[in-house]
Amino acid sequence: MNQPTVSSSPYAHNNQNVRKVMLQVQIAAFPALLAHIYLFGFGIVIQWMLALTTALAVEYFMLKLRGRPVLPFITDMSALITITGLVFCIPPDAPWWIVVTGSAFALIFGKHLYGGLGYNPFNPAMLGYAFLLISFPVQMTQWTMPVEFTQHTLDFMQSAQYIFTGHIPDVSLDMYTGATPLNEMRTGLSQGQPITDTLSKDMQTTLGGLNSWAWINLAFLLGGLWMLYSGVISWQYPIGFLGTLAIISFVFNQVDPELYPPMDVVLLTGGTMLAAFFIITDPVTASTTPKGKLIYAAGIAVLVYVIRNWGAFPDGIAFAILLMNIAVPLIDQYTQPRVFGHKR
Amino acid sequence: MNLLSSVIKLVAKFNPAAKRWMHSFNGGVFPKYNKSLSASQPIRKQIIPERLILPLQQQVGLTPEVKVQVGDKVKKNQLLAQPSKDPFKALSVPVHAPTSGTIVAIEPVTLPHPSGLQDQAIILEPDGQDESIDNVLGVDGSIPDSPLALKAILLNAGIVGMGGAGFPTYAKIPNQAGKIHTLLINGAECEPFITCDDLLMQTQAGDIIQGALITAEALGAERIICGIESNKPAAIKAMKQAASNTKVEIKVVETVYPMGGQKQLTLELTGVEMPHKAHAVDVGMLMMNVATYAAIYHAVKFGEPLTSRLVTVSGLGLKQPYNMNVMMGTPFSALAREASPKSELNYPLVMGGPMMGFKVANNDVPVIKTTNCILANPPEPVEMQMPCIRCGDCMDACPVNLLPQQMYWHSQAHEFDKVEKLNVFDCIECGCCSYVCPSHIPLVQYYRHAKSEIKEIHAEREAVELAKQRHEFRLARIEREKQEREARLKAKKEAVKKQTSKSSEATADTTKKPASAAAAAAKAAAAKRAAAKTKTSQSEGQETNKVPSARMKAIEAAKQAAQKSAAEKTASQPEESKPKQADTKSAAKQAAMMAAKKRAQAKAQKSEEPTDLTQKTAETDASKKEDARKSAMQAAKAAAKKRAEAAKTKNKETESLSPDAATEKPETDSSGDKRKAAMEAAKAAAKKRAAAKSQNSDKTEEQIKPVDTSAEQTETDTSVDKRKAAMEAARKRAAERKAKQQAEKQDSDEQQENPQ
Repeated sequence: MNQPTVSSSPYAHNNQNVRKVMLQVQIAAFPALLAHIYLFGFGIVIQWMLALTTALAVEYFMLKLRGRPVLPFITDMSALITITGLVFCIPPDAPWWIVVTGSAFALIFGKHLYGGLGYNPFNPAMLGYAFLLISFPVQMTQWTMPVEFTQHTLDFMQSAQYIFTGHIPDVSLDMYTGATPLNEMRTGLSQGQPITDTLSKDMQTTLGGLNSWAWINLAFLLGGLWMLYSGVISWQYPIGFLGTLAIISFVFNQVDPELYPPMDVVLLTGGTMLAAFFIITDPVTASTTPKGKLIYAAGIAVLVYVIRNWGAFPDGIAFAILLMNIAVPLIDQYTQPRVFGHKR
Repeated sequence: MNLLSSVIKLVAKFNPAAKRWMHSFNGGVFPKYNKSLSASQPIRKQIIPERLILPLQQQVGLTPEVKVQVGDKVKKNQLLAQPSKDPFKALSVPVHAPTSGTIVAIEPVTLPHPSGLQDQAIILEPDGQDESIDNVLGVDGSIPDSPLALKAILLNAGIVGMGGAGFPTYAKIPNQAGKIHTLLINGAECEPFITCDDLLMQTQAGDIIQGALITAEALGAERIICGIESNKPAAIKAMKQAASNTKVEIKVVETVYPMGGQKQLTLELTGVEMPHKAHAVDVGMLMMNVATYAAIYHAVKFGEPLTSRLVTVSGLGLKQPYNMNVMMGTPFSALAREASPKSELNYPLVMGGPMMGFKVANNDVPVIKTTNCILANPPEPVEMQMPCIRCGDCMDACPVNLLPQQMYWHSQAHEFDKVEKLNVFDCIECGCCSYVCPSHIPLVQYYRHAKSEIKEIHAEREAVELAKQRHEFRLARIEREKQEREARLKAKKEAVKKQTSKSSEATADTTKKPASAAAAAAKAAAAKRAAAKTKTSQSEGQETNKVPSARMKAIEAAKQAAQKSAAEKTASQPEESKPKQADTKSAAKQAAMMAAKKRAQAKAQKSEEPTDLTQKTAETDASKKEDARKSAMQAAKAAAKKRAEAAKTKNKETESLSPDAATEKPETDSSGDKRKAAMEAAKAAAKKRAAAKSQNSDKTEEQIKPVDTSAEQTETDTSVDKRKAAMEAARKRAAERKAKQQAEKQDSDEQQENPQ
């Protein structure tokens, strides 16, 4: 691409650019990052740095391979958003090669092979996550236990040691890892234990009335609301997603509270808020028409609920998003807005 | 409402898009207006430049014709160029001298147009006296009582839409009073930097209001609404003051680009969303710019043509931006120099605002009637274009509710049919999408390109269709000619065969074929009568005189036979009255035929040729069965036809007499050896059909052919002399028919034109 000159109007611009948009998203993720560090330790920071290094290397080589200018595209920050989304989904103390292969897969197969930024049909972060979940299910489901169980988190060096070597001297690691609440509920149900029992047993230790998972979700909500307020993301995504999820979970919980978790648990566990504000709002892979955005978000919510309750995975956000990504062209086709002066 | 607006204002501090909830159309953007640069300055005194360049083409439409010569001394307001054609058919407006001086050249100059093309212009060297002709339009200052009277004044004053589009104002106004119920005044001026309308409203509010009142009076409009953006408080105050005690309503509208778009402002002011492809006039509304109304006022009250206008000279590259009442033809560079540029003007100036303006090809281009702003913004580093990330910001900003990113996607892939399906032609090219695009994609440029490509594709498709039709017609014609040639050859062979078998039976022909003989006789009689009655039929008479005596005898005999047969059927009427009677009979027939033909024509106009053709063939069949009386009648009809033509009456009767396939065929039957004539008739018919774009021309051709060949078979036996004479007559008739056909065609053309 040669240096373009504006040859026709408009000669004015609002000075927005792709980099700024991506940066705003990154900034909005900071509250969640801080909460994560507080609740789960420094594991995520190491993971994030590993992912960033991988991303930079992968971006450089892929851009070189594709014969594209490296500097403008490596600094467009889109890879940063991808790895941020991915890192939040990976257990904080998972082995180092998990995040490296996941990020590399996400960027190479999720983005560059389709033609780079703007051309990928699937959300790269979710593609990477799905790849990891299918390939390494054990490592991906062993989450670091939050601070309310462990009383103190691993420090930076301990985390690094654990991530790179797989063990920490003089520390019993069983204490630090376990299943996520969504996993617990699933296991409990399979053993004939009602949801209500699982919840009351496993989640009594709380922090200010809420457990760690809820706190992480609230941190995402905070960043998401800021993005909504500053106009970075469209309101249709979170409203459509959270609204639908809330309605479905409320209805099913009313039908059978023993089998279906209550609404607040559904909304504040797993990656619900992460998905609502950071993942499904990725414009490249989402529907773009106003109505289409709502349908897309609602579709993801339905699939998430279906996979969580009747599927084979504890959290179905990645698969739900990838499935709805496929449907995007169709949704866009049939939700075109009424053009000024035209009849419907 | 107040609570809502204050909440929105709070949100808008971080997210300017929130302000979009405040107005009625979708999207819109909130650029930096920079209006105070020039609005804070008083209007400067007019400058008289060294040269005025007056392009002939200043607006949409045709170029007017130059009325002056090089070396002529002209005064201010003098007419320099005038529309060459009827301006009510082809858009064109005159050009007047903005000041007194000498015409020094008429030469091509670069136009202030996006294309940067050159065109003829009158170069005027001002003498500095500024002598003017008062009331050059010769108005009496009274309000025109009809739209037409107003239109005439506006045309003569050379007024065009001064908001930017430059559509001749007279052409916007409907001819009938009462068609416009609401007159809209566009004082929105939503483009950044431009303040000329703002200052015009501040200084000439009365003129604008009066201009609107005059227009409303002439058009019979009941309401007048003026929309002004909220960022012009001084203009709003002045306009409200001027509009007090009049029926003009001043409405303050939100400050959002593109509020000044015609459809957007109409929706905002009246709540009416103009339908797709409809013009404002179609919904009973007419919107004009404030400057246009002021010009209307000056034209109607004082007879002043449009020779100057308020222009904003602004931009970040100028130290002292200003507004000035600038003479048309003043070069941009002269005006920019007056504003003391910060650096040398080595970058192109922009005509219009930054959102919809365009860079001029040459900074010496002149101010024209549509120049509202001259913008000097130094070039800024442009950010690199990134791939589209489908963020949808463009869609949220689009005031027409299009899907810009999808149109871009398809334009880029050259899938222009899909771009068209996404309604690219509704795009007003306001530039909002490009303005907000985080990837810095020049979206509007893509749509302009797509539009021109689509137009080209359509033109090409039409051309291909036409070529295909022509080719198919040519193939059909070649095939037909081939068949005709074969038929002719066959007929000749058969004739030779027959002649060898019954060589001496020529005299028996009359008894054998009473039809043809009788027809010939009747025709001869009719011709004689026609010769006696009219001048034009003299040639026919002469021809009969020329006929050799042998043939005359045969004709006489045939005549008698015909008279006999006619007498038998008409109960022995006097011989003299016989043709007349036939005439009356034929008149009845003609009436029926006329009706049939009219039906056919009506159907043909609806392009339902098949029925037309079947009707014709049916008539042909019927006519084949007719006997001698019929042919006699036909002959008489032919005579009557001639009479009618001589009289040159263009009434219905003439039209009914004009031949079509039905009337031709019996004649073909009746006359002597009229192979050639039949051929010609067939050809003429074919031509006619082709003109009507008949699709089954081949079919009818085949249907005609049997008639021809049978006629040939029956008539090859007649004597050579007779044949020749008959041929002569037939040729003549054919020529006449052709002439008549043409006349008829013209008639029908006129008829077709009239409804439109």
